[in-house]
Amino acid sequence: MRRLTHLTLRRVAAAAASVFLFCDAAIYGSQTTPSPLQTPPAYRQVTDEIGRTIRIPQSIHRIVSLAPNLTETIYALGLQDRLVGDTDYCDFPPEAQQKTKVGGAINPSLEAIAALRPDLVLVTKNLNRLETVQALAEIGIPSYATDPQTVDAIIASVARLANLLGAPETGTVLAADLERQLSALHDRLSSRPPRRVLFIVWTEPLISIGKDTFIADALRHAGAVSVIDSSQNWPQINLEEVVHLQPEFLIFAEPHAGAAPHAADAFAGLPGWRLLNAVRNHRYVTISDSINRPAPRLMSAVEDLARQLHPEAFTEKLQNDKDNAPATSTPPHASSFAPTGNDAISEEQACAR
Amino acid sequence: MRPLTLQRLFLQCSLLAVVLFVVVVIALKLGAVPVSLYGLGRDLISVLLHQTKALTSDYGMIVIEIRLPRILLAIVVGASLSVAGTSYQALLRNPLADPYVLGVSMGAALGAILALIAEPHLALPVWLATLFTPLGAFLGAAATVAAVYFLGRREGQIDSGTLLLAGIISSSFLSAIIMFLLTTLTGHDFRGMVFWLMGDLSTSLQSSLRWVLGVGFLVATGAIYTTASDLNLLLAGEKEAMHLGVDVRRVRLVVYIAASILTGLAVSVSGAIGYVGLLVPHVMRLLFGSDHRILLPTAAFGGAIAVVIADTLARTVVAPSELPVGAMTALVGAPLFIYLLRRRIA
Repeated sequence: MRRLTHLTLRRVAAAAASVFLFCDAAIYGSQTTPSPLQTPPAYRQVTDEIGRTIRIPQSIHRIVSLAPNLTETIYALGLQDRLVGDTDYCDFPPEAQQKTKVGGAINPSLEAIAALRPDLVLVTKNLNRLETVQALAEIGIPSYATDPQTVDAIIASVARLANLLGAPETGTVLAADLERQLSALHDRLSSRPPRRVLFIVWTEPLISIGKDTFIADALRHAGAVSVIDSSQNWPQINLEEVVHLQPEFLIFAEPHAGAAPHAADAFAGLPGWRLLNAVRNHRYVTISDSINRPAPRLMSAVEDLARQLHPEAFTEKLQNDKDNAPATSTPPHASSFAPTGNDAISEEQACAR
Repeated sequence: MRPLTLQRLFLQCSLLAVVLFVVVVIALKLGAVPVSLYGLGRDLISVLLHQTKALTSDYGMIVIEIRLPRILLAIVVGASLSVAGTSYQALLRNPLADPYVLGVSMGAALGAILALIAEPHLALPVWLATLFTPLGAFLGAAATVAAVYFLGRREGQIDSGTLLLAGIISSSFLSAIIMFLLTTLTGHDFRGMVFWLMGDLSTSLQSSLRWVLGVGFLVATGAIYTTASDLNLLLAGEKEAMHLGVDVRRVRLVVYIAASILTGLAVSVSGAIGYVGLLVPHVMRLLFGSDHRILLPTAAFGGAIAVVIADTLARTVVAPSELPVGAMTALVGAPLFIYLLRRRIA
């Protein structure tokens, strides 16, 4: 009896942990999809970002997205009319919530997907499961997987997706725009030493990001470097180690749209946390949760972070030609208790359009 | 059963206290940040003399502010789980009884997860927000304990078989609800919640919560200890105990409530740390006999030692990352349990 209960407990924990924490450890096997029953005029073969060769219709009219970042990308490319279904978590832009839902990213309903008769299902390796892709292949629905690990790879992935879906021009423009923002940031920040930061995914227990995540790369583009040098993607970190490393700033992502980030204030009184110079000096930075999604909107979070970490870099030389018009006219945020800037939000919407 | 003398009790407890002290010193020395034994001694003495300003290095502060509170937490949690396990095993006269079989851990985990879900939607003042999750866990544990208690009665009497079954059923029902919540929630909320299912001692506790935990532990353990000799008689059977003048109903109520308070408090700050409440009492029974007047205090020490060791391993094996302490206890606990089982059969 004892072992039974423990088995249940471990199973819940292990299943949950493996699914959510380490889902990117899942390796998609390479496989080709069997040809569907009727043979529409033209098919083409493409290789997706995890090396699978898939056969998809020449033109794609019905898309199901199984990840929030892919839904955002589709909207950013202006292809939302072809999006026939997405997941419960696809909440940006708000219109995406109106699309037909096929369930969660981890456990979508195959029946709901099949009922939408998609030409292509989009998945992303660090969120969706191999089983979903295999099950879709069994019933003859092709799926294309993205797997961007860096900011550059996100931009490349967006462009590739635009090509795949038949909107190469929009993709080129969007990618060029993102590249321009990135190089503008790089110009401003290249002469400045990066800030040493701790990106906080969760506080109790303390979970941060590993060096191989796209978030770590996004931090580097924002003129910051994570003090955590772990090869795990979501490492649980010992507070001692953080005190030893003394990051200059603590970075939080807003939990959800607009929830109050009071977590930061609560730290000040906690034993252990108050040994951090960043806590003593109130050096907290809160940025939009778009930092957690490998989509075009990530760039606005990167820029917002850069502004909060290096305000002086944005006062010196104003390069209006490169930035979106209103962004540079707003005074830079003070580094303490800075909320997400309005300029960042307007840029997010600009990106999404 | 050898007659109990105060001398023997004192001797055995001080033996375990010495072991605990050694383990604590080792645990204080080991960690992500290296500390010399000399520096450790100097810092500890200056803290004992209330001269915190004399702590010049950050290392001293790390030890005093992070490591020491965590070790103290491990001691209280370990002792609570072990005393609760000992009491449940005596009360239900079943060697498999422990806080987790009775569903308490799942109740606490569910309470904590519900609190984590609800918290962003409530505009709570900061002091309450930090207490909200442990509070949710405690309420979850208390509700489960009450539910299992009422489900486990037959004809108005607690029946140990029925109670165990009620615990197991509640546990699997609650874990189904947890699974439901975890799969329907967004991925991001989720990472911290998993740790409630695996046990974790890295939480920085508010000092008010430390007091609640410490006082709760002393009161509940004290209450159980007053029934120690009755528990000995209960081992012979309930009828027999009743004939020998034990107020079985009162003992049952006191022990059940006190043990549940211990479990609820422990789980509400540490999540589900398995096997401690099951195994430590068995080991202590082998070492010191089954007289509860000795077994209860030695089990408290034993649980403390076990959890301090497990947590030290959890935070040093893959430093600077951490493992959930519940994984450590299960890793050591399950094989040890099988060994004890085989030994008993042989």
